[in-house]
Amino acid sequence: MTAPMRLPSQPGEVIDRTVPLMFGWNGRAASGYAGDTITSALAASGERVFSRSFKYHRPRGILTAAFDDPGCTVQVGDEPNVRAAHRRLAAGMDVRAENAWPSLKYDVKAANQLVGRFLGAGFYYKTFISPQRLWPAYESVLRRFSAGGSMSVDARRGDYDKRYVHVDVLVAGGGPAGMAAALAAADAGASVLLVEQEYDLGGHLRYGGAAELATLRELRDRVAAADAIEVLTDSVAIGRYEDNWIAVMQRTAAGVAERLVKARARSLVVAPGLIERPYVFAGNDLPGVMLSTGVRRLINLYAVKPGLRAAAFIANEAGDAAVEDLRRAGVQIAHVADARRGTGLVHATGRGGLRSVRFSDRTVEADLLVTAVGWTAPTALASMAGDRPEFDPGAARFFPTVAELPGGIYCTGGLAGDGSLDELVGHATAVGRAAATRSRVGVAPLPHDPHPALFHGPTDGFVDLCEDVTSKDLATAVAEGYDGAELAKRYTTSTMGPTQGKLEVVNTIAMIAELTGRGIAETGTTTWRPPYAPVTLGALAGRTFEPVRYSPMQPWHSAHGAKPLVAGAWIRPDHYGDPAAEVRAVRSGVGIIDVTPIGKLDLQGPDVAKLLNLLYVNKWSKLGIGRVRYGAMCADDGVVFDDGVTGRLAEDHYLMSTTSSGAAAVWEWVENWLQTEHPEWAVHVTPVTTSYASINVAGPKSRELIARVTDVDLSPDDFGYMHVRTGRVAGVEDSVLWRIGFTGELSYELHVPGAFGLHVWETLLREGADLGVRAFGVEAQRILRLEKGHLIVGQDTDGLTRGFSAGLDWAIKLDKDDFVGKPELVWQGERSDHPRLVGLATVDPQLVPPEASQIVAGGEIVGRVTSSRMSPTLRRSVCLAQLADRLARPGTTVNVRLPDGRTIQARVTDGLAAVDPDGKRMRV
Amino acid sequence: MMLLPCPWCGPRNVTEFAYRGENIARPDPNTADKATWRDYLYYRSNRAGWEREGWFHRAGCRQFFSIERNRTTNETRGVGTPDGAGDAAHSGDSR
Amino acid sequence: MVRPLTSKLSRRPVKKYSAVNILRQGITRAPWAPVLVPHELRGRYDVVIIGGGVHGLATAHYLASNHGITDVAVLDKSYIGSGGSGRNTAILRSNYLTPEGVRFYDRSMELYRNLAADLNFNVMFAKRGHLTLAHNDGSLRTMRWRAEVNKLQGVDSEVVGPAEIKKLVPYMDTSEHARYPILGALYHPPGGIIRHDAVVWGYARQVSARGVHIHQDTEVRGIDVAGGKVTGVRTNRGDVAAGTVLNCTAGWSSLISEMAGVSMPVETFPLQAAVTEPVRPFLDAVVVSASLHVYVSQTDRGELVFGASVDPFGSYSMRGSLEFIEGLAGHVLELMPSLAKLRLLRSWAGLCDMTPDFSPIMGETPVQGFLIDVGWGTYGFKAGPVSGEAMAELVATGKTPEIIAPFDLARFTDDRLMGEKGAASVGH
Repeated sequence: MTAPMRLPSQPGEVIDRTVPLMFGWNGRAASGYAGDTITSALAASGERVFSRSFKYHRPRGILTAAFDDPGCTVQVGDEPNVRAAHRRLAAGMDVRAENAWPSLKYDVKAANQLVGRFLGAGFYYKTFISPQRLWPAYESVLRRFSAGGSMSVDARRGDYDKRYVHVDVLVAGGGPAGMAAALAAADAGASVLLVEQEYDLGGHLRYGGAAELATLRELRDRVAAADAIEVLTDSVAIGRYEDNWIAVMQRTAAGVAERLVKARARSLVVAPGLIERPYVFAGNDLPGVMLSTGVRRLINLYAVKPGLRAAAFIANEAGDAAVEDLRRAGVQIAHVADARRGTGLVHATGRGGLRSVRFSDRTVEADLLVTAVGWTAPTALASMAGDRPEFDPGAARFFPTVAELPGGIYCTGGLAGDGSLDELVGHATAVGRAAATRSRVGVAPLPHDPHPALFHGPTDGFVDLCEDVTSKDLATAVAEGYDGAELAKRYTTSTMGPTQGKLEVVNTIAMIAELTGRGIAETGTTTWRPPYAPVTLGALAGRTFEPVRYSPMQPWHSAHGAKPLVAGAWIRPDHYGDPAAEVRAVRSGVGIIDVTPIGKLDLQGPDVAKLLNLLYVNKWSKLGIGRVRYGAMCADDGVVFDDGVTGRLAEDHYLMSTTSSGAAAVWEWVENWLQTEHPEWAVHVTPVTTSYASINVAGPKSRELIARVTDVDLSPDDFGYMHVRTGRVAGVEDSVLWRIGFTGELSYELHVPGAFGLHVWETLLREGADLGVRAFGVEAQRILRLEKGHLIVGQDTDGLTRGFSAGLDWAIKLDKDDFVGKPELVWQGERSDHPRLVGLATVDPQLVPPEASQIVAGGEIVGRVTSSRMSPTLRRSVCLAQLADRLARPGTTVNVRLPDGRTIQARVTDGLAAVDPDGKRMRV
Repeated sequence: MMLLPCPWCGPRNVTEFAYRGENIARPDPNTADKATWRDYLYYRSNRAGWEREGWFHRAGCRQFFSIERNRTTNETRGVGTPDGAGDAAHSGDSR
Repeated sequence: MVRPLTSKLSRRPVKKYSAVNILRQGITRAPWAPVLVPHELRGRYDVVIIGGGVHGLATAHYLASNHGITDVAVLDKSYIGSGGSGRNTAILRSNYLTPEGVRFYDRSMELYRNLAADLNFNVMFAKRGHLTLAHNDGSLRTMRWRAEVNKLQGVDSEVVGPAEIKKLVPYMDTSEHARYPILGALYHPPGGIIRHDAVVWGYARQVSARGVHIHQDTEVRGIDVAGGKVTGVRTNRGDVAAGTVLNCTAGWSSLISEMAGVSMPVETFPLQAAVTEPVRPFLDAVVVSASLHVYVSQTDRGELVFGASVDPFGSYSMRGSLEFIEGLAGHVLELMPSLAKLRLLRSWAGLCDMTPDFSPIMGETPVQGFLIDVGWGTYGFKAGPVSGEAMAELVATGKTPEIIAPFDLARFTDDRLMGEKGAASVGH
């Protein structure tokens, strides 16, 4: 590939001509140099069209030659929407144009241009209305016309990273003002983070003349020498959030694809410079129409000749400088129209690229048209801090209203005003010094230089090049009554595209103002929603830090085929292959289950009983030392919230257990009541969930097994049902044993110091081998408790289930002075029409209605199955259900609708327990 | 990210805290009628201005405290501990 | 040099939207009839509707079209659709948990499906299918519960497994090794997305054409009540007398009700949303994960629209937060890891009035003539047409329609909370 447009070496060029790079462009071989952007390499080879536009599929070329160039968005490998005018070339890149089929040159969807006069603002809203049945077909065609790059289902997630920074001053923008502010702040003793969106510091100095380059070198050298300044290039401050929490997207970062830097800065200096604003006229989107800054970047940074024969329409010094650069680059200057002298730009014409330009006084042939009509102030970071920028008609741009900015936010550079380079650097120096001390001392405002207000010519052109919105569309919107700035933007989608309004917003507001006869200030202000620059989901997400919890017995579980169950943070064994066999082992012999995730709170102090009385619905004042009691907690609305057993280990020492999923919430709940309602109570709460490894040993032979590993007296008279003991288990001191029966069997729950969990677990299995001991998982435990009719909070209850609907009638003690939820439970107890938790037996014992099956009567839903399983013990299905009170009497037959549509019958059982309703087995 | 001044730990990222809502006094459970009790359960003043709220420093000192926050601007002032130290206006928040 | 962009054309404006008229207008350049017509604010109207979002405008529409009541003013403190109607993620579904909720939202879906023809405005409803993922057995149980209730109400919903999910959403990571493995999903084929602004504009155009006054930039600053009856409102543009005043606001509903002396079981929370750059279509279904607090859909323009749960603390601030988009991106990538290089373009916040039972409040208040259509939490847009229809009926007949009767304000003191809270509490 030749490079006919490549210029000889330029003083400020950033390309390294000693390092040629090969890459692919639409499947063809292409080349450039290290330091080139994708666009500059292609432009050097004479390419002028880089994409097809959003709606009309018009060919688009270079406009700004920087990140926000709307026509230079490409696909690179599996990465969509790469900003080709910013992204540096890398060897082997597979670059393809977007929105073009079959090729960039012949795009069939360009036919949209022919019907363009019908595709104006609101087109979609006005058609495809009837017949309505055809709309889905239209819609699928419309979707195929959607723009943008392609996702790849196989794309790797990639490596991203985050970093936290605490800094005195963060300077957003590394142009001359940003550098000067950073230097002044550092001189004043501040630590500084200087953030620049380009690959090098310097801003517009980088593409300036000899004087600018000299200043640039001096400032860069001083910044490099300042130890207190850290520089991030190819990085952009994407958002300013409360208390100067600033997000910086580092697009080039060592070792990772991208890095999100989160900085808490005492002061923020906003110095992004100015964005050159395009001009609206017919043909303003033709390849070959460029902004003066685009032209200067191409020539001076990349040594690319932007065209062969140029016309210019300029209203400021940036335009003059661009014309000078063009002359120097050997581009023929066809005509320079000076808007300051009243010359107008009428329209531009050409097919596939610029051919001719009509000015108010002449028409000239040209393949390049340079416009320099004014600036947009990127006030985004100040706006995010609450600033409402104001329009200065004389200067023809918005300015932040610095006086209203909250503490710690400063603006400098072109954003703040005008002046010579020295004056701007002087202002920035004062700002940097003030930012270091968080004062406003010594900062005099910059003047606003007059600038002609130029937004559009006498012909209609594109206002938003990302979205293909024309000035005619804006006029239509306003005429139809969408005449507020926000409504018109939404109706036309102007400013809603990938450049986020950076190029379009001021022209849009100015035109709406003109169309409605209101002033710009009255019409609206520039609104900037974060992020300031688009940011990848990968960078925002960073690495995944979602910890999981395993019990100390996990090595054994893994080695024995446990099927993992994700239960919140915990990964638990669901079963070891055959849950029914695990159930039978517990019912007939002995089984052990790892219940480490059960929440455990160590409660100490003289007022623990008062606390328990307050939080549980039942009574605790008379719980003796060495005793354990079941308790249920309700919230103040009477809804059941958690349950568990609590044992009294000593006079002022209790151990509370909670559900596994409720462990964190109950801890917080306990602290909340203690701290906010009863700070006078002396109770010390220590969460000990993971301090202990917990094992439930269940089954008729559990006593025999435990006896082999402990010196605690297990005789039923001494250590009866619902008692607690502490002692040595498998040689481990300070173990807690409580005799409880969630499974309905004789069982001992062991809580042993966590580090010994695996040891105790393996000891139990070894010592119990001859008893047939078997590990069981969560599924077997669920079956066992269901057979026994024990509820699970959150499964057999829901967000409205109060105590009396959870079968807790026996536990709720309304004669207590106070407990959480008491009034609602009193009122619920006075009524009899609330749902009840019941046991169900299906008439056909082999049918297991799936959980959530609805119970229906006369076309109404009267309940639902909350738990159901085939019982390995009874060889029939067992269920719990929430059921309307009128049907809840034992023996009542109800209709259960299965998910497959069948209706089956079930009878309400006498009590909740299907196995051992008298509770003899757990009390032996 | 907003900073919240914990009375024990100083200003910390708000993500360390759990919001407990407006401070509402719990009525006497033995005398409150349904309207009073359900007002306490469900009704909120939801002011678009300064409000005294309960917060919990979940990822810090695990203390509950009350603070005034302007619910339109998220500015804060008048931090106090729930037991009254530095704050006489606190009333228990128990939800 | 600067000229008006369009000259005033004397041609007769085109009123009806159709392909034929698009062609005709394209050729003749006759202007389209305006959607919004400015009016002077009159000193009295029969009905004042506070809030120019989908709820207020739909109510005005059905008042006019179903009941012939057009002496109505719709007031908005900003522009129409500037609140929740323009900030939501435009997802439509009716797969709720309670029979009352399902019936209510299903009627809304029916109205939405016919809305383009009804309003002669293409609101771009796209039936895409709606998947609510379950990552644990508790949430899978809730999905089954919803499916069963839905089916009993005649709403198409079923629980599907990971293989079917993968077929519907090829980008989904349905592997067992995910941090939060996907166990199944509630699949609701009628669910979809719509162009939210178009719904607002479509209603506005119809009510304007019928003579209803839409007043933008008109902020209600007081509500007059005498003898237990509402008598009018005070605005920044003057006082307006009215015997019927509707509070159809979101975000500020308790502040408006407070002006009439009506307290509310409402707390306002910001809800944030975000949109990516456009990419070629790859995601048909609407995907929701309650456990990961995220919902995703791809618009016809190719953008991915993301939403999440409300912010962790109540506030009227709509600034948005970084931690929200960080968490959002993390959760999206948990579901679809190959989207890492997709760029987020814009994020914003709206305000949600949360009620204790995650259900709205509609109907009468202790102040006669002051009606409320509020408490819309995160589900208000879906209900716009049906609540408009029902509120209009209430205004016209004085009787609360059965379809909204369960959602009355008195339920909070009468212990009739809606069961949607059941889904919320176990659905995590």
